[in-house]
Amino acid sequence: MLSKFNWFIFSLVALVGGLPFQAHAQMAHPWQFGFQGAFSPSAEKLHEFHSLLTVIIISITLFVLGLLIYVVLKFNRKANPVPSKTTHHTLLEVVWTAVPVLILVVITIPSLRVLYFLDRVEDADMTVKIVGHQWYWSYEYPDNDDMTFDSYIVDKEDLEEGQPRLLTVDNALVVPAGKNIRLLMASGDVIHSWAVPSLGVKLDAVPGRLNETWVKVNEPGTYYGQCSELCGVNHGFMPITIKALSEDDYAAWLLEAMEEFANNDNDNKPLKIASLQGKASVWEGSNE
Amino acid sequence: MSNTTQSKRNRTIGLAVVGIVFSMVALAYASVPLYRIFCQVTGYGGTPQITESGPTTAMSQRKIKVRFNADVNSSLDWKFKPYEHEMEVHLGETALATYSAENDGKETVTGTAIFNVTPLKAAPYFNKVECFCFSEQTLAAGETADMPVSFFVDPEILEDPNTQEVRTITLSYTFYRAKSDS
Amino acid sequence: MSDHTPTGWKRWAYSTNHKDIGSMYIMYAVVMALIGGTMSMMIRLELAEPGLQFLEDLHFYNVLVTGHGLIMIFFVVMPGLIGGFGNWFVPLMIGAPDMAFPRLNNISFWLLIAATVMLILSVFIGGGAGTGWTMYPPLSNSLFHDSASVDYAILALHLAGASSILGAINFITTIVNMRAPGMTFHKMPLFVWSVLVTAFLLVTALPVLAGALTMLLTDRNFGTSFFAPEGGGDPILWQHLFWFFGHPEVYIMILPAFGIISHIISTFSRKPVFGYLGMAYAMVSIGAVGYIVWAHHMYTVGLGVDTRAYFLLATMLIAVPTGIKIFSWIATMWGGSITFETPMLFAIGFIFLFTVGGVTGVVLANAGMDIMMHDTYYVVAHFHYVLSLGAVFSMFAGFYYWIGKMSGRQYPEALGKLHFWVTFIGVNILFFPQHFLGLAGMPRRIPDYPDVYAGWNMVSSIGAAIAGFGTLIFLFVIYRTFTAGEKAAANPWGEGAKTLEWTVSSPPPFHSFSEPPQFDAKPEAAE
Repeated sequence: MLSKFNWFIFSLVALVGGLPFQAHAQMAHPWQFGFQGAFSPSAEKLHEFHSLLTVIIISITLFVLGLLIYVVLKFNRKANPVPSKTTHHTLLEVVWTAVPVLILVVITIPSLRVLYFLDRVEDADMTVKIVGHQWYWSYEYPDNDDMTFDSYIVDKEDLEEGQPRLLTVDNALVVPAGKNIRLLMASGDVIHSWAVPSLGVKLDAVPGRLNETWVKVNEPGTYYGQCSELCGVNHGFMPITIKALSEDDYAAWLLEAMEEFANNDNDNKPLKIASLQGKASVWEGSNE
Repeated sequence: MSNTTQSKRNRTIGLAVVGIVFSMVALAYASVPLYRIFCQVTGYGGTPQITESGPTTAMSQRKIKVRFNADVNSSLDWKFKPYEHEMEVHLGETALATYSAENDGKETVTGTAIFNVTPLKAAPYFNKVECFCFSEQTLAAGETADMPVSFFVDPEILEDPNTQEVRTITLSYTFYRAKSDS
Repeated sequence: MSDHTPTGWKRWAYSTNHKDIGSMYIMYAVVMALIGGTMSMMIRLELAEPGLQFLEDLHFYNVLVTGHGLIMIFFVVMPGLIGGFGNWFVPLMIGAPDMAFPRLNNISFWLLIAATVMLILSVFIGGGAGTGWTMYPPLSNSLFHDSASVDYAILALHLAGASSILGAINFITTIVNMRAPGMTFHKMPLFVWSVLVTAFLLVTALPVLAGALTMLLTDRNFGTSFFAPEGGGDPILWQHLFWFFGHPEVYIMILPAFGIISHIISTFSRKPVFGYLGMAYAMVSIGAVGYIVWAHHMYTVGLGVDTRAYFLLATMLIAVPTGIKIFSWIATMWGGSITFETPMLFAIGFIFLFTVGGVTGVVLANAGMDIMMHDTYYVVAHFHYVLSLGAVFSMFAGFYYWIGKMSGRQYPEALGKLHFWVTFIGVNILFFPQHFLGLAGMPRRIPDYPDVYAGWNMVSSIGAAIAGFGTLIFLFVIYRTFTAGEKAAANPWGEGAKTLEWTVSSPPPFHSFSEPPQFDAKPEAAE
């Protein structure tokens, strides 16, 4: 049952978070106000926490705005020709120190809870290794005979109906829905960051070190993200597409993929983007 | 206050602040070795512990999975793989894993491996007894070498509230071309 | 001391006079702001619609982003607030004849010019640095930026840093040693307090940047590997060092703004500042806490969870002294007899916009939440609300507040108010929608974006155009002030303006306070 307070939060978030649009929530939509939809336990927790934060920060801002408006109306020269001389009010000063501390405590407790939740490593059902390159991602499935493939952006001309520009890749990362997946992050050159907002994942791929996080995609679907650490000329052009399939579909895909990518060797990457590097004409937008 | 005493005091204070500036520069440089030592001692940033001897505590009945990850930087034309992707070991049991490296290039090259452990928080409990990463490795063209690493996981990993739920640890090596060789 | 005033170009080039040097800093900051602003206009133009509008070379976009950041931070806000207003008004407010080391003051300014030359060279030699102002290696290493542009950018920061350090030494010595008789620390005007805290931040934070930059320079050119993993270094170490400097740097930019705003609020409310000691020590504590929060810029690099929990808590703490400042300003206005001249409009605008930037800062402080926000436009919106709308608003406020004092001519009031309203509306249309873009997941530093982000980006670019128009009005205000401004009285603001700079003529004589003024009023800590 929704308590009154929760209901208040809910309606406020609906207002600022654009709940009416949740139908297309697997990616952002035009004129969106808030987060993309939440499709993993992490993202759900973060959304819930953000709802609390939104209420608090909007209240604080409106409170300050209200005070300012009141002061401007009430204490302008016309309304109050003789200024007071008050410069101290101990009780007031204690209050405006103590109340923010209390608000921070209200924020901090759920914040730490979310933080430690995200850091838990659930016993993973499978592992995917993600390697950032200038300027594409490659995905390795160590559990499946080290199957490896690269994931490049698809040029505007080659997009099929319904594929979003700048988010579509040739080979998406495919995972089973509903399973805990360990994500290992590495980089072949500079620092990249692998981010999928609707799954609540963002972790840097740092050269010389392996990073680990986890994700569980709640339901089958296609989810999008982009590189989130400046990594050079084509930083804006190494998107992330992740497809979550039902267990049966995933098994079928895996058989096919292991055949298709059998000859891929992660030592010999085709550098097909090298020739396009930095040339604007390749990425011509929708404006022409 | 006369002008001369004032400028004298000015100089004293000015010089004191210059002292602060230089000590901060020194601190920046000192941070380099300090950061390294800090990582090694505390396991910060996923740096595993390195010990001369084996485990000091008794072997536990609990088991943990250790996975092995291998990467080669593009500056090196090598193949580098673990023989086994993962193994299950008892906590406190010293185990041996082997990687193999092959020089696919046409010349003799020296590589150096850097390593870390994930999840990062498990690093303080992951101890390496002996491993190839301590020294640079030189491989002639076409040469293959086996690289063993022996390690154990400290049973204290179960005591730490942050690491209690860890059932799998990944040990990762990345081979770079050694700086001395480029 | 002779009353001889040097004339011609020598007066400026060889100047050891704090007012002349301050004026040069302000003019310099205005010029650099126009350059940095033009860069941001180009960025907004490119981002107005999806697709690539006019950039042929995507590397150039990264150079723009880098240049805009570096210029606005090191060559606009720092010289404007500290070099400009600091030089002009710290000696006047404490009743000192000049800065403690006048010739050092001259060197500080000209080092900054040398730094500018280096920065310009970095753009024209080898295509520019596309590293972002944070210059994270390995991207900034020679392997990925092999031309000399990053080296020149490093040298530019070195020189700008040296300039600021020398300036800070000067300020600390002046403030500690040259206050008028009777002016104890607890009676110092709040702007002087703010510059003192800022100067301490400068002398402790900038040397760390200098050290890190030198390491990067030797990594690039002399084969060291402080940040290169293949040589046993760690790229993350750069981020630690950079942000150990970078976070105090944020307060270096905003603390002098706090000082200016306090004076303006007090003057136009015709009331002394409420809770003077609380205000002063709030700044001290913001400066101190600023040193122990740096890794909140690094929540996604793979830090241990306990580390992130610590930085979350430490960062939250900053909200408390900041809250004290906001509420004290409002309390200063409470019961006042407020008039709304242009400086006051900018100051009230500052309070509100800084609050907006502050609360989004609280959101970002949460290490878990930051996974959604890190490197998105939410962060861009946040730091532009505190810097572009905070620090820059305070610079405009300070300009209108003091231009009569500095030039002897008062600005045209109606035009000033027009400038405020156009700017206020423009920057809000510019930056507020960026919160939505960030929440929806749009990453920063990209020259093109998925089509779904088109709407708010267009709105944002329209806001940029309005704000740009506001800048033109500002230039016209400057022009009118100097060609047709009314002569300013020693104190044009009346009873509320109580600090010492209002006791001298407008403009002040070339040598002010050759005899130290007797300071016995208690303008700030009055009962």
